Amino acid sequence: MKTQSFWEATTPQRPEFPPLEGNLDVDVAIIGGGITGITTALQLTDAGKSVAVLEARRVGGGTTGWSTGNLYVPTGAYYHKILDSRDKETMSSVAYARAAALDFIEHQTLQKQIDCHFARRPWYFFTEEENMVSTIEKEVDALQRAGMPIEFTENVPYLNQDGIRIAARMHGQARFHPLRYVLGLATDIAARGCQIYEHTTVFDLKEEKDHCLLKTQHGTVTCRQIVIATHIPIGIHTVQTVAAPHRSYVVAVRLRNDDYPDAYFWQNDTMHKAITTHSTDSMKLDMLMVAGNHHKTGQASHQEYQHYFNELEDYARKHFDVASVEYRWSAQHYRSGDGVPYIGLTHKDAKRTYIATGFYADGLIYGTVAGMLLSDMIVGKDNNWLKAFDATRGTNLATAKTFVKENVNVAAQYLKDTPFSADVKHLSEIAPGEGKTMEIDGEKVAVYRNPNNQLHACSAVCTHMKCIVHWNNAENTWDCPCHGSRFMIDGSVIEGPAIANLEQKQIDVSGEHLIEGEKHRSGQRDINNPIT
Amino acid sequence: MATLFIAIEFFALAALLGMYLLTFVLRGKETPKAIVFTHGPLAAVGIILLIVYILKGGPNPWDSLILFVLAALGGAYMLFRDLTGRPIPPLLAVGHGLLAVTGFVLLLVFAFGS
Ligand SMILES: Cc1cc2nc3c(=O)[nH]c(=O)nc-3n(C[C@H](O)[C@H](O)[C@H](O)COP(=O)(O)OP(=O)(O)OC[C@H]3O[C@@H](n4cnc5c(N)ncnc54)[C@H](O)[C@@H]3O)c2cc1C
Ligand code: FES
Repeated sequence: MKTQSFWEATTPQRPEFPPLEGNLDVDVAIIGGGITGITTALQLTDAGKSVAVLEARRVGGGTTGWSTGNLYVPTGAYYHKILDSRDKETMSSVAYARAAALDFIEHQTLQKQIDCHFARRPWYFFTEEENMVSTIEKEVDALQRAGMPIEFTENVPYLNQDGIRIAARMHGQARFHPLRYVLGLATDIAARGCQIYEHTTVFDLKEEKDHCLLKTQHGTVTCRQIVIATHIPIGIHTVQTVAAPHRSYVVAVRLRNDDYPDAYFWQNDTMHKAITTHSTDSMKLDMLMVAGNHHKTGQASHQEYQHYFNELEDYARKHFDVASVEYRWSAQHYRSGDGVPYIGLTHKDAKRTYIATGFYADGLIYGTVAGMLLSDMIVGKDNNWLKAFDATRGTNLATAKTFVKENVNVAAQYLKDTPFSADVKHLSEIAPGEGKTMEIDGEKVAVYRNPNNQLHACSAVCTHMKCIVHWNNAENTWDCPCHGSRFMIDGSVIEGPAIANLEQKQIDVSGEHLIEGEKHRSGQRDINNPIT
Repeated sequence: MATLFIAIEFFALAALLGMYLLTFVLRGKETPKAIVFTHGPLAAVGIILLIVYILKGGPNPWDSLILFVLAALGGAYMLFRDLTGRPIPPLLAVGHGLLAVTGFVLLLVFAFGS
């Protein structure tokens, strides 16, 4: 079954924005048109700034349009862990910021009358495993200490109570259609003068003393401030040494009995699952989603990625009366070193360049927090959350541990790039529909054979920092195991820190040689990665 | 003297891998990163052992150490260029190798010369 996001499939009228053709001069340029970029643009437009949003693909078409549409104060990084790694003040700031962002989204949907199915409902947190009980107890305690109204409960509606060891509930959380919401905001700000450009990839950016410069394929943007709202900063950034990329999976099913739970559930077992419900075209719930099974991008433990979907489907069938599986998709999230996202100036010496990343799978809210916080920073307004999220905060013990863990992992990926090591030795070993790496004339090549037997080949060397990409047979993409860049079969970038596409290669099939293209020097790329 | 001989062994291994890497740079191919990330640490251990040997006092192969440190700086710069997508100038790669080989020959002369 082909993967497709429910949100993309259920967004009937998608506004089109033109690509940038020519040069531009604005107060603020925002790279990335996901919930982070568009919320920032909204706030800055409201503050009277001239703003341009530059989106490489489609507005909302990044992770925002491939998420699961839940809005909640809790976070997958857990407040009790934030308390351990940081302090009570930070933990409370994060909780209040998330609650404020949820209110903000509700306010926007009402004020702008965005048809995005926003509705409040409770969140349930439970486990069927004895050894996870203490995690729930600690998390409830932490949320209560942060001033949030969470309580233990005996009853988790719609689910079989027998196996449940402990459960908690928090009222007032919400669901919405993230793509319709972001497109609703984008339409509103575009009508009020914000310039939005789609199919416009930013491939270089530079902060000068009194302005910033930003290069796209067909024009240069001069601005006073840049916001890098690309989920993970593009180019090379130190945050990539701790913001581990993970893919997680979603299946959306229809139920036979139409009895869709009006709540959001986290089953906090060793293999965490999130269960949610949404509506296709009205407020009526008609789709149940199960999400989970994450793994580091490009490092799946199962050769067949379908396994991850099948396992979620089995879970759905075990707990609900499933009539049909309608959609399956996967998406990416990035963690942070100490459980708190990085939002603010990109590094200590930066004066004009901002980032927002490390959201875990909680970034519809964190992206909104980022939009609110970054716009305050840019217009020079005080914001109490700044200290908690400060992207230039120093290292703490938790971050140091993550740094070591992640970089040992990345080093291990580089050490796999030995001469003569590739998935296959000959093209004949690649079946239709399969992608494999192969060494040809001393180069690692990523070769995909399409169902019509045609070969698509590109360099297997990631254009970010040169790890070797791996085939993802759920999405038919080349995924980099180091920092999560992902590429289509023609080599074009989908997401991640990489900016340049994988270099396309021509293979002489009979002799299994590369047909010499433009001669490069060793190490050379068409685009230098900016150090952001 | 044992420290010096172990250092020589590390430098010799690093040199072998370095020559192999040079063939990639000169052909304009991507370097295999497993070799890059083995070559550098081997040479670094060699330098550390050499420093340990020198710190013990007595006659010293200072000239080798200086050349190795310069070669290491060149190596680190090439690694930076490589990983950030900037081309590795072949002359830099050859120069880095020549510095290291000269340091190595001087070290051999120091160890076995008299
Ligand atoms: C499976 C899954 C489910 C999730 N469910 C939820 C949920 O229920 N609730 C929740 O709160 N969070 C959820 N999240 C997290 C949330 O979806 C993300 O954190 C959030 O959407 C990130 O928004 P963003 O705007 O920062 O990034 P994105 O939405 O990824 O937007 C970044 C944009 O930048 C663009 N871009 C990249 N490079 C360039 C370039 N060089 N030039 C121009 N543009 C560029 C991309 O094309 C993209 O559109 C989920 C995540 C996953 C993986
Ligand atoms: S994403 Fe960093 S090397 Fe590929």
